[in-house]
Amino acid sequence: MIKRIRDYAALPGGFGIIVGVSMFLSITVIGFARPIFIPYAPDELVGDGLAAPSWQHPFGLDQLGRDMLSRVLAAVPADIGVAFLGVSIPLFIGTLIGILLAFAKNKVFLSLVGSIIDGINAFPLLIIAIAMVTFLGPGLFNVVIILALMNWARYARIARTRAQIVLRENYVEAARLMGYPRRKIIFKHVTPNVSSETLAYALSDFILVIVIISGLSFLGLGARPPAAEWGSMIADGRVFLGEAWWITVFPGLALCWSAISISLIVEGLSRRDRAS
Amino acid sequence: MKLKLNTPLGRKIFGRTIRAFSISFWVMVIAFALMRVTPGDPASARLGAGAEEEAIEALREQLGLNVNPFQQFINYIRDLSQGDLGTSLVSGLPVGEIISKTFPLTLTYIAFSFFFAFLISIPIGVLIGWSNKASWVYSFRTFTSVVIATPNFFIAMVAILFFSVQRDWAPVFGYEPGFPGNMKYLWLPIAINTLILVSIISRVLLASVIDTRSEEFVETGIIRGVSRIRFFWFYILKPSLAPTIVLMSYMAGTMLGATVILETIFSLPGIGRELVGAVLASDYPVVQGILIFFGVITVFLSFFGDLFAYLLDRRVKL
Repeated sequence: MIKRIRDYAALPGGFGIIVGVSMFLSITVIGFARPIFIPYAPDELVGDGLAAPSWQHPFGLDQLGRDMLSRVLAAVPADIGVAFLGVSIPLFIGTLIGILLAFAKNKVFLSLVGSIIDGINAFPLLIIAIAMVTFLGPGLFNVVIILALMNWARYARIARTRAQIVLRENYVEAARLMGYPRRKIIFKHVTPNVSSETLAYALSDFILVIVIISGLSFLGLGARPPAAEWGSMIADGRVFLGEAWWITVFPGLALCWSAISISLIVEGLSRRDRAS
Repeated sequence: MKLKLNTPLGRKIFGRTIRAFSISFWVMVIAFALMRVTPGDPASARLGAGAEEEAIEALREQLGLNVNPFQQFINYIRDLSQGDLGTSLVSGLPVGEIISKTFPLTLTYIAFSFFFAFLISIPIGVLIGWSNKASWVYSFRTFTSVVIATPNFFIAMVAILFFSVQRDWAPVFGYEPGFPGNMKYLWLPIAINTLILVSIISRVLLASVIDTRSEEFVETGIIRGVSRIRFFWFYILKPSLAPTIVLMSYMAGTMLGATVILETIFSLPGIGRELVGAVLASDYPVVQGILIFFGVITVFLSFFGDLFAYLLDRRVKL
């Protein structure tokens, strides 16, 4: 096992990928296993407000006297979990729509859907997410809906371009000549080749989506108050920045930790791509 | 340069212009559809749960929601073509006026950020890319990917902690208009934006400089012995600049999105803070107007970016 990991690390980009994956797994596992080794609940008042970090509370206490370590870890499902949904749903819908568009023949339909995709992609994602909160109301569940409604278009554009190239490849032509049904060609030949591209984009999109989720919560448009979420914790700490830096800094570091872990993986994968 | 439509270049530019306008049209359609398709009635959301029937009905009429959706769409396009974006439900001011009052501030510090970012990125990208030393390139890439992965509001918080709380270098609240005075409030947001932009822009420039290095004309330039300035400008920078220009025009849209958060943190009276205020107050016409404004600006920025990149380097696909 150790030898295999060492061999993998020796490949170009392998070291970065291993560091990134272990950083990401560590925060996710610790976050989901929080109740096992942290005795305080995230919304339990355990001492005086704004108490500095100590051995008992390594990340200090927030303005109400809640344990920051417990809150930072309790936010893992809210941030990484929601980001996972916010990436995988658009990934699935967008890839599917993009592939189907590459097969479609009707000119009017094609230009209509193409225009809608371009129109949605024209808006900066954060802006349209903020505007959608007006119509749907705040809350993490609504953030997932907003991402599902708005983010698929980027995947659809990538998938469509890629699928058009794949459809001209010889192996697709061969499958067609052998009389395979169209469904089989789509799922066995086109989808695997298209989804490798959209999956690569999904990885870097993950960083963007985490930033959007925490950014919306920072503005008070995402997670609602008692819930633990990194962006809203940073916003809470803003007022106490002078006397209690730990309320802001630790959630921020957790946010950076997860975003950097993903970007190490992206970086490693792209270096491996360039090497081969 | 006189532009003829029957040349390949003219046709390309003409086609791209048509596309920019048609995407802008779809931007307006989507901004319209969002408000109507989503569940919930805008009027009752604005007035709250305890509002009276008549008040809700009156507001629906004011928002133009009392006719059928098709008629609403016709009215909406007619108003937009006359430049009428509606009136704010909170202040009663026309949305166009609100935008023209708040946008200059946002534009000011975004323009400064891009200016400085461009100035800093070019030497970094060209020098590190030209040296192509693995240790430099990788430490540069690591540093920039850390900056890019960090959300801008966390960078802003750390900056406030160092520059406003520990030393009294940048005021956190308040703003005063007018050129020399406002820089006291703007320099920190500009510096943060510049740091983020430099990381993004110089990465792309670095990658294209490394690509350009291996082109044959670069070798020719070395053999011909052209002067150092001429060499870096014509042989290295100019052929590498096109992807950077395209990226910058794309980033301008994303930066506009990011300003919303920075303006809220630094309490700058720009368009982003206006948007957040309108969202919190359920002020539909303002949200819709600013959404359209952002969408159309992004479309045309990327249009001009593509065009400029194409004129700079004809290998770019328009």
